[in-house]
Amino acid sequence: MSGALIRADDLTMRYPNGTLALEGASFEVAAGELLVILGHNGCGKSTLLRCIAGLQVPTQGQVSVSGQVLTGLTGRALSTARMKLGMVFQQARLVGRRSVIANVLCGTLGRRQTLTTMLGMFPRDDAPVALESLDAVGLSAFANQRASTLSGGQAQRVSIARALAQKPAALLADEPVASLDPDAANEVMQLLRRISSRDGLAVICVLHQPELARRYGDRVIGMKKGRVLFDAAPEAIAARDMDALYTGTAGGSYHE
Amino acid sequence: MSDAAELRGLRPLQSGQGHEFASWRTGALRIAVGLGLILVVAQATYVVQARPQDLITGAHGMADILWRASPPDFGQFQHELWPAIETLDIAIFGTLWGVILALPLAIFAARNTSPSRSLYYLARGLIALCRAVPDLVWALLFVTAVGLGPFPGALAISVHSVGMLGRLFSEVIEDMDKGPVEALITTGATRLQVFSHAIVPIVLPSLLGITLYRLDENIRGSLVLGFVGAGGIGFELLTAMNLFQYQTVSLLLVITFVLVTITERLSAALRAKLA
Ligand SMILES: Nc1ncnc2c1ncn2[C@@H]1O[C@H](COP(=O)(O)OP(=O)(O)OP(=O)(O)O)[C@@H](O)[C@H]1O
Ligand SMILES: [Mg+2]
Repeated sequence: MSGALIRADDLTMRYPNGTLALEGASFEVAAGELLVILGHNGCGKSTLLRCIAGLQVPTQGQVSVSGQVLTGLTGRALSTARMKLGMVFQQARLVGRRSVIANVLCGTLGRRQTLTTMLGMFPRDDAPVALESLDAVGLSAFANQRASTLSGGQAQRVSIARALAQKPAALLADEPVASLDPDAANEVMQLLRRISSRDGLAVICVLHQPELARRYGDRVIGMKKGRVLFDAAPEAIAARDMDALYTGTAGGSYHE
Repeated sequence: MSDAAELRGLRPLQSGQGHEFASWRTGALRIAVGLGLILVVAQATYVVQARPQDLITGAHGMADILWRASPPDFGQFQHELWPAIETLDIAIFGTLWGVILALPLAIFAARNTSPSRSLYYLARGLIALCRAVPDLVWALLFVTAVGLGPFPGALAISVHSVGMLGRLFSEVIEDMDKGPVEALITTGATRLQVFSHAIVPIVLPSLLGITLYRLDENIRGSLVLGFVGAGGIGFELLTAMNLFQYQTVSLLLVITFVLVTITERLSAALRAKLA
């Protein structure tokens, strides 16, 4: 695929304590594609996303986003590059005391002057952007409510709205539905599906439910002990391969 | 074996082991701790030269003072109003400067926000020093340095507050929910933006609560500082005592009681609102 938006090249991550969390992981994601990552606890999925988002520096390999190498950037260049990647976590990570819209507005910070936003002044044209992204997740009615009063599913959608307000080219989601009930989980997955196919974002989503991966993913990567085991369209993955992902990995973590 | 059966099988075994364990090791430890406590109390009683009988013979003297102290001399009220305001303002000034100096120190002294290891230890050391020396001793030092009056008292309260606030502030920063901070970093926000949009809104209520509590403590602290010449009610109290004006003393105690009660209530009510 020539239109790769995110490219991970031979990513290897060894933590200072010696844990080898990633071992030569390589793959690509195109714009408008929803890639699901599956794998046992401790296989390195979060580490992989954190390396892509620039929250961690891989010990080896590199990440590029629309042709620009992200690995190794620092300071202002790093923050600018990060704006292209929105990230969503298992917990919504909102500031509970602030309103929903204030939380969403935080997504625009990267584009704005440090000083004026520090005083709580956001440019006038950011309000529509924030409302629009809140609308995209179906929660514009909640704009002025305190974030701490939302349900888990709503909070997760607000955190997606915050990432959208950033106007990213890709969305990285680390177990976004892990603490949601089946209905809320499906709503969030449909939202991610729409964000990728309609708005053309590349979406990487870590899941623990193979059935959700089959239903919503354009492509599925299976990881085991820090390596990519398979990378294929959902319909091409045999049940046997899926089972192999989770066998012989009891205990959760992997140490060398 | 089903889970339930497994549990039933395990429970008595575990608690049985626990009893065996408790029967001699823990028992011996408890006896040792009990003996140790008795020893500590006994030596303390000896060292302070406790003489309960003196309390009874001294009752006469106490009654005499109480008699001479009542009723409080309310005619002096206007005269004592100014020292009361001074006491309040020593606490307000001291708390304010305590906060202003403690905040940056606390950021350096919190492991997750400290810019470097050496600054971390330096800030920790400064905070520990400010805290370890009581405000009364700081006041003594400042009275020697800048002379009598409310200013050395205010300085003493500031320095001691830096120690108390610095430690609590840095603990709040260290225990803060890091989720929103990381979430904002991924949006491409700068360090300062992350500070103002994630760290500040998360920690501000706790910091305000701690500061209000400190103000309350500082008002009590500044009442005493006058004893070493650092202005306010304490200084008046000392003078009245030395001149045997016990009715003035009792008026000052009434003022103190009212001041402390009001600020305590006010600070508690404000803190309850913040939570
Ligand atoms: N900061 C760290 N320091 C040391 N080791 C770490 C650190 N973070 C993660 N690890 C280790 O790296 C390995 C991969 O962790 P990671 O969190 O990426 O797994 P994961 O696939 O996201 O697991 P889960 O499904 O449980 O979220 C684990 O063995 C973990 O213990
Ligand atoms: Mg994880």
